[in-house]
Amino acid sequence: MSLMSLGLVRGLIGQALGTLAGLFLVTLIRVLAGMDPIWAEEPAWVTGAVLGVIGFLIGVGALTDWAKWTVGIPTPLHHGPPVGKPAWVRYFSVDYNHKVIGIQYGVTGLLMLMIGGAFAVIFRTELSRTGLQFLSADTYNTLLSMHGWAALMAILLGIGGMANYLVPLMLGAEDMAFPRLNAFAYWLNVPSIVLLMTSLFFGWDGGWTVYPPLSVIGSVGYQFVFYSIFTLGLSSVLGSLNLIATILRMRPPGMTLFRMPIFCWAILATSMIQLTATQLIGLAFLMVSFERLLGMGFFDFEKGGTPILFQHLFWFYSHPAVYIFVLPGLGIISEILPVFARKPLFGYRWIALSSLAIALVGFLVWGHHMFTSGYAEYLRVPFMLATLLVAVPTGVKFFSWLGTIWGGRLTFPTPMLFVLGAISVFLIGGLSGPILATVASDLHLHDSYFVVGHFHATIFGGFTFPFFAAIYYWYPKITGRMYNEAMGKLHFWIMTPAFWMMSIGQMSVGVMGMRRRIADYDPALGVEFGHILVTIAGFAIAFSILIMIYNLLHSAEVGKVAGANPWRSRSPEWQIPSPVPEHSFAAPIAVVGEPYDYGLPNSTYIRMAGAAGDD
Amino acid sequence: MPKSATDKRHFIIAAALVAVTTVLMDILLKAVLPLPIQASLEALTIDALIGWHLSLIAFLFSLIVVFMLYSIVVFRKRPGDNSDGEHFEGNTTLEIIWTVVPLIAVIIFAFYGINTLAEVTRSEPNEVVVKVNGFQWGWSFEYDGVLSPEMVIPVDQRVRLEMNTRDVIHSFWIPEMRVKQDLVPGQETILRFTPIVTGEYTLACAELCGRSHWSMLAPVRVVSASEFDQWLAQRRAEQNPALVQAGPDTE
Repeated sequence: MSLMSLGLVRGLIGQALGTLAGLFLVTLIRVLAGMDPIWAEEPAWVTGAVLGVIGFLIGVGALTDWAKWTVGIPTPLHHGPPVGKPAWVRYFSVDYNHKVIGIQYGVTGLLMLMIGGAFAVIFRTELSRTGLQFLSADTYNTLLSMHGWAALMAILLGIGGMANYLVPLMLGAEDMAFPRLNAFAYWLNVPSIVLLMTSLFFGWDGGWTVYPPLSVIGSVGYQFVFYSIFTLGLSSVLGSLNLIATILRMRPPGMTLFRMPIFCWAILATSMIQLTATQLIGLAFLMVSFERLLGMGFFDFEKGGTPILFQHLFWFYSHPAVYIFVLPGLGIISEILPVFARKPLFGYRWIALSSLAIALVGFLVWGHHMFTSGYAEYLRVPFMLATLLVAVPTGVKFFSWLGTIWGGRLTFPTPMLFVLGAISVFLIGGLSGPILATVASDLHLHDSYFVVGHFHATIFGGFTFPFFAAIYYWYPKITGRMYNEAMGKLHFWIMTPAFWMMSIGQMSVGVMGMRRRIADYDPALGVEFGHILVTIAGFAIAFSILIMIYNLLHSAEVGKVAGANPWRSRSPEWQIPSPVPEHSFAAPIAVVGEPYDYGLPNSTYIRMAGAAGDD
Repeated sequence: MPKSATDKRHFIIAAALVAVTTVLMDILLKAVLPLPIQASLEALTIDALIGWHLSLIAFLFSLIVVFMLYSIVVFRKRPGDNSDGEHFEGNTTLEIIWTVVPLIAVIIFAFYGINTLAEVTRSEPNEVVVKVNGFQWGWSFEYDGVLSPEMVIPVDQRVRLEMNTRDVIHSFWIPEMRVKQDLVPGQETILRFTPIVTGEYTLACAELCGRSHWSMLAPVRVVSASEFDQWLAQRRAEQNPALVQAGPDTE
C-alpha cells in the first residue's frame, strides 16, 4: 500500500502545492506589472494560505463527490472500510460514516490538546521564577498566543468528536443528515491546523484575542492565524448546520424533543450559537487581514476607524463561544450522572431549557470583556446585568445535578469520577464569574491572572473534564474493550487536585496584582510562590493526560471485552453491539418511554423493530 | 441513618454542614486571595464589594459541595445492593425556588454593583489633572506642560488621568489603587481615583502590547500636597529656567 492512498498525505501535498502556487502567482503578477520589490511577503503568503486550504481539500478528496455531481457522475455512498486496503486507512482519508468522522474529530482534538498543553507547559516553566530564564519575550508571547488558539481548536474538535459520534447513535439514526458535508467540515480543520502551526515560525504576539492595532503592525504570522481561524469557523458553521438538521429531522418515531437524550439538547443549543455567531469572528479577522493587506482603515483612527469596533465584533462571537465550549460538556454531565446514580435526571425539562437560556442570554453579554476598553460608559451597566443573569440558568443545572445524585445508588468508575470532578471545577469557574461581572470589582481584576484562573476553571470544568469522562464512558462502545480502571482512577486523582491547586494559585496571584500575558513579573509583587505551585500543577496535569493516552492505546489491545452495555444504560447506543457495527442499528428503533427512568420497574426507553430487540 | 432520601434529617445534617463550611470557606478564601494594600478610596469601595462576593462564593461553594459530598458518602451503592435509586423525576416547586432566589440575589448584586460603579467613577470639581501617554513600551506624564517620567500625585485629592496613546492599546493599572482603564489610539480615555496613602507604587500596562509588554512599568509616588506643589515647581523650573527668572507669578 502506498502512502499516497492516505487522503491525509494527498491533502498535505495539495496544501504545499497550493501554497507554492499562491506564492508564485503573486510574484508573477508583480513581475508582469513591474512592481518593486518583486517579493511582497504579505500578499504572497495570504494568497498561498488561501490556495493551500483549497489545495488540501482537493488533495484529500473532500470535494470529489461534489465535483462529480457538477458533471453528472453518480456517487453512491460507499460503506465500510476501503476495498483492498487495511481498515485503519479510512481514518486518514475522507470517509462518510459519522462514527469514523467522530473518531477523526476526537483524536485530532486530543492531539491539539496535547500541543496546546505543551505550549503552556513551556511558558509555565519560564514563569516559575522571576527573571527571563530560557525564553525571549518574543518567544514567550508567541507561545502564549499559540497556546490560546491551539487549545480552542482542541475544544471545538473535541466537541465535534462527541457530537458526531454520539448524536446519530442517540437518535437511532444511521448517520448524520448530510454525510458529505460532515466529512468536508472535518477536513477543513486539518489545513486550519497546518496554517496555525505555520504561524509559529513567523511569531505573533497578540494573544488569542489579536486586538488591532497590535495585530496590524505585527509579523505576517498574524495572517496565518486569521485564515486558519476563518477556515476553522467555516467548519463550525457547516458542522452545526448538519447537527441541527440531524437533531430536528432524524429522530425516531416517539422521540419528541423532550424525550431526546439530554446531550442532544446541549448539542442543539451549542449548534444554534455556532451557526449564528461564528460569522462575526470570521468577519473581524478578515477585516484585520484586509487592513494589513489593502490598507483599509476599519480599526485605524487615522483613517476614520476605531480599534474598539474590533473588540465588539470579536467578543460577539468569542463570548458565546464560551457557551459553545461548555454546553456540550454540561450535557455530558447530565447524560452520565443518572446512569451511575441509578436515578432519573432531576428536572429534565429545566436542564434542557436552561441550555437554551444560556445560549440566548449568552448573546447579550459580550460587552463584559470590554468594561475597561473605553467604550461608552453607560454600556457597562446593561452588560453587567445581562452577565449576572447567566448565573440563573447555570444555577439550575447545578441544583438539578444535586437532585439527580441525591438518594441514588452511586458507583464511582472513572467516567463518574470525572463527571463529579467536572462539577467541582466548573463550580470554581462559575462562582468566580459574578465578581468579574460587577464592573467595579472587574476594574481591579480585569486582565489579571484572576481572569486566567476563572476561564481555565470554566473551560476545564465545562469541557476538558466532561470530555475525558465521555472518552472513558464511551470507550467500551467505541473499541469494544474496557479501559484500565486503575490507570483511569490514577489519572483522575492526579489531575483533579492539581487542577484545584492551579485555579486557586492563578486566582491568588491575580488578586495580588499579577497581570495576564507577561513574560516576567516583578519579584516585589510576592507572587513567585504562587507561580511555582501553578507550574507544578501544570506539569502534574500534563503528566496525568499522558497516563490517559497510554491507557487508551494500551487497552484497545489488551482491555477485557466490554459487552454491549457495561454501564446498564438505557440510551439507544448501548442497546447495540460494541464496537458499533457499520450501520449501527440493525433495525429502526421507536421510543416508547422516558430516557432516564432508572428505578422505575418495567419501563423501557426504546424498542427495536423485529423480535430481536423486543425485550 | 434515615432510609428515605427525602427524610428531613438528611437535610438538617446537610444544612448544618453547609453553615459550618461557609464560615470556614469565607476565612480560607480571604486568606488565599490577599488584596494589595488599600491605597485609594476606590480600593475601600471595591474591596467591600469583593468581600461580599467572596462571602457569597463561600456560601454557594459550600452549598453545592456539601450536598455533593453528602450524596457521595451517604447515597453510595452498598456492596450487594443492586437496586436502583428512588424514582423521582423532579420537583417543580424546587426548580422555581432555585430559579427565583438566585434571580433575586442577582438583582441585589446588580444594584450594589451599579452603586459601586457610580461611586468609583464620580467626578469632583477640583481634580488634579495628569495627562498620561502610553507607548511601546513605557509611560510619560504631563502636568499642564510639565513633562515627567514618573507619576507624582498628591494624597487625598481626586486625580483625573487623561490618557492617550498613538501606537497600540495599553492599559493603566496600579494594583494598590484597584482601578484600571485602557488607553486607545485615537481616543482620550479618562480614569479617576483618590489616593489616600503616601508611598511608592508601580504602574503597569495590563493589555498585551507587544514584545516588552511585561516591562512596561513606571514609578508612581503619592506625596503630600505641599511636596507635590514643590515637586511640580521644581520640574517646571528644570524644564523651563526662563520662567523662573521671569518672576514670582510662575510659582
